[in-house]
Amino acid sequence: MGTSETAVDTEIAISVRGLTKTYGSFEALRGIDLEVRRGEVLALLGPNGAGKTTSVEILEGYRKRDGGTVSVLGADPERRDRDLRAKMGIVLQECAVDPYLTVAEAVTQRAGLYPAPRSVGEVIELVGLAPKAKARVKTLSGGQQRRLDLGLALVGNPELIFLDEPTTGFDPSARREAWDVVRGLCAEGRTVVLTTHYMDEAQALADTVTVIAAGRMVASGPPDTLGGRDHGETTVRFILPAGTSLADLPLPGGVVPTARGDFVEFHIAEPTSVLHTLTAWALERGEVLGGLAVSRPSLEDIYLALTGEDLP
Amino acid sequence: MNDLMVAKEQVRYEQKAYWRNPMAAIFTFLFPIVFLIVVGTSAGSARVPGTSLRYDQYTVVAMLTFGLIAACYTNLAMAICNRRETGVLKRMRGTPISVGSYIGGIIGSVLINVAILAVVVVGIGMAFYHLHFPYHVGATLVTLMVGIVTFGAIGVAVTVIIPNADAAPAVVNGLYFPIVFVSGVFYPISSGSVLAQIADVFPIRHMITSLVSAFESGPGSGLRPGDLLVMLAWAAGALVFASRRFRWEPKHR
Repeated sequence: MGTSETAVDTEIAISVRGLTKTYGSFEALRGIDLEVRRGEVLALLGPNGAGKTTSVEILEGYRKRDGGTVSVLGADPERRDRDLRAKMGIVLQECAVDPYLTVAEAVTQRAGLYPAPRSVGEVIELVGLAPKAKARVKTLSGGQQRRLDLGLALVGNPELIFLDEPTTGFDPSARREAWDVVRGLCAEGRTVVLTTHYMDEAQALADTVTVIAAGRMVASGPPDTLGGRDHGETTVRFILPAGTSLADLPLPGGVVPTARGDFVEFHIAEPTSVLHTLTAWALERGEVLGGLAVSRPSLEDIYLALTGEDLP
Repeated sequence: MNDLMVAKEQVRYEQKAYWRNPMAAIFTFLFPIVFLIVVGTSAGSARVPGTSLRYDQYTVVAMLTFGLIAACYTNLAMAICNRRETGVLKRMRGTPISVGSYIGGIIGSVLINVAILAVVVVGIGMAFYHLHFPYHVGATLVTLMVGIVTFGAIGVAVTVIIPNADAAPAVVNGLYFPIVFVSGVFYPISSGSVLAQIADVFPIRHMITSLVSAFESGPGSGLRPGDLLVMLAWAAGALVFASRRFRWEPKHR
C-alpha cells in the first residue's frame, strides 16, 4: 500500500468537501471532508449512529446529500450513472442473495451484469467458497454468506470497493483471510473504503483512518499518527521493588508516578533516558523492575479519546 | 451485455429460483389444479346461467383466473417484499443493471408461469370436462395479457403499503381473498346481483367474464372491451401509485 508520488498513485478516487445530510431535524452529517487516492484503503471509524453508513451510502449513490460536493471516480454518485455503478463493488452489512440459487449461479448472474467481469471460478476461489460452489445459498453459514457477498462485490472487477463492516461475526482466522483479500485488492491498484468497529482492522489495513463522531470528522490521518498518536506520551509501568517508595524513584522533574496496586506508572514524552536511569538504579540495588512495560498509545486509546467514549 | 440479454438471463435465474421454492409454486399451480379437480368433478354439467359453459367448464376459467392472480399479484408482491426486506433490491440497485432489465426478467418469468398454468388448466378442462379449445384464441390471449399487466401492477403497488416482510402475507391475502369470493372465483355470481355490483368495482370478475366470453362460441371477436377497460384502469392506477411511492429499501433499520 505504498503511496509513492507517481502520476497514477496520486490520482484521486474519492473527494468529498463539506458533506451534510439531515433526516428530519436530525443532522446526521455536519460537514465531512474525505480524500482517497486510487489504490488506498480508507477506514471510517466511529460509534454507532456517528454517520459512517450515511457517508458511505452517499458515496455509493443510495442517498442524496443535502450539501457539499462529492466526486467518486470523477463522477457525482447522486446521478447514479451506470458507468460509475459498473466500476464500484458494494458489500452491505446484510447478505442479500436469492437463497434458492447456488453459489456459482449467484456469482455468474452478477458477473453477467458487468461489462468486464472477472472469472467466476477465480472469484469463488478467492473468497474460499470453491468447495461450496454447487451449494444453495440458503445452506451456507453466516460467515460463508458474507464471503459470498464479498465475492459478488468483486466479480464485476471494480475499481472501487465499499465494505461495510466486512468482518463482523468472522472468527479470527477468517478475519485474517479477509484482510489478505483486501490487501490483495490494493496491490492490484483498487481503492477500498471500509467501515469498521475493529481498531486492529483499521490498523492492519488502512492508509488513512477517518474518525467520525456525531456527524463530524474528529480526526483523519494514517493510523500510526492519528490524533497525535506518534507524539503522544509513552506509558512506563512496572512493579515497585520491595522496600522502595515512589519518592525513591530517580525520575526527572515534572514526571509524577502514580501507584496502581503493586504497579507504578508514569507518562513521558521520550522514555530512552529515563529507562536507562531507572534500570541502572534497579541493578545497583540488586532488584528487578518486575512486569516492566513500555507502551505507546494504541489506536483504540486515541479513538476513545477522540470520540469521548470511555472504556467500561 | 445489452439490456435485452441481461433481461433474458434474469428470466433464467428467476425461473430457477422460482421452481426451487415450493411455496410459490404450490400457490400458483397446485391449489388451482386441486380445486379444479375437486370442484370441477362435483360441479355437474348444468349450464351456468347467462353463459354457454357448464359449471365444471366455468371452474376451468375461474381457476385459470385464480392461478393467474397467484402468479402475478401474490407471487410478485411477496417476492418484492422479501427482496426489499432482505436487501436484495438494494443490492441490485448498486449494480449496473437497468430497472427495465430487472423488472423485465421478473415479468418474463411470470409470463412463463402463466403460460404453463394456462396449458395445464385448459388441458384438464378439455380432457375431463368436455371443454372446447377457446373459440376466440385472440380474445383469450389479449385477456390473459391484460390480466398479467393488471394483477402484476397491483402486486407491485401493494408492496408500497406493506410495512415489512412479516406483514406481507396478511396484507397480500387479506386484500384479495374477500374480492375473490364475491367475484365468482369459487362459484358463479349472477350478474345484476348485489355481490356482482360490488365485485364489478374490482378487476377479478371482469377478468372472469372476459375469459368466459373468449372461451364461448359465438360471433365476433369474443373481446369484452368494457371489462378490459376496467382492468386497464386498475393497472394504470396501480402503476402511477407504484412509480411514485415504490421503496427499494426496508423502512427502518
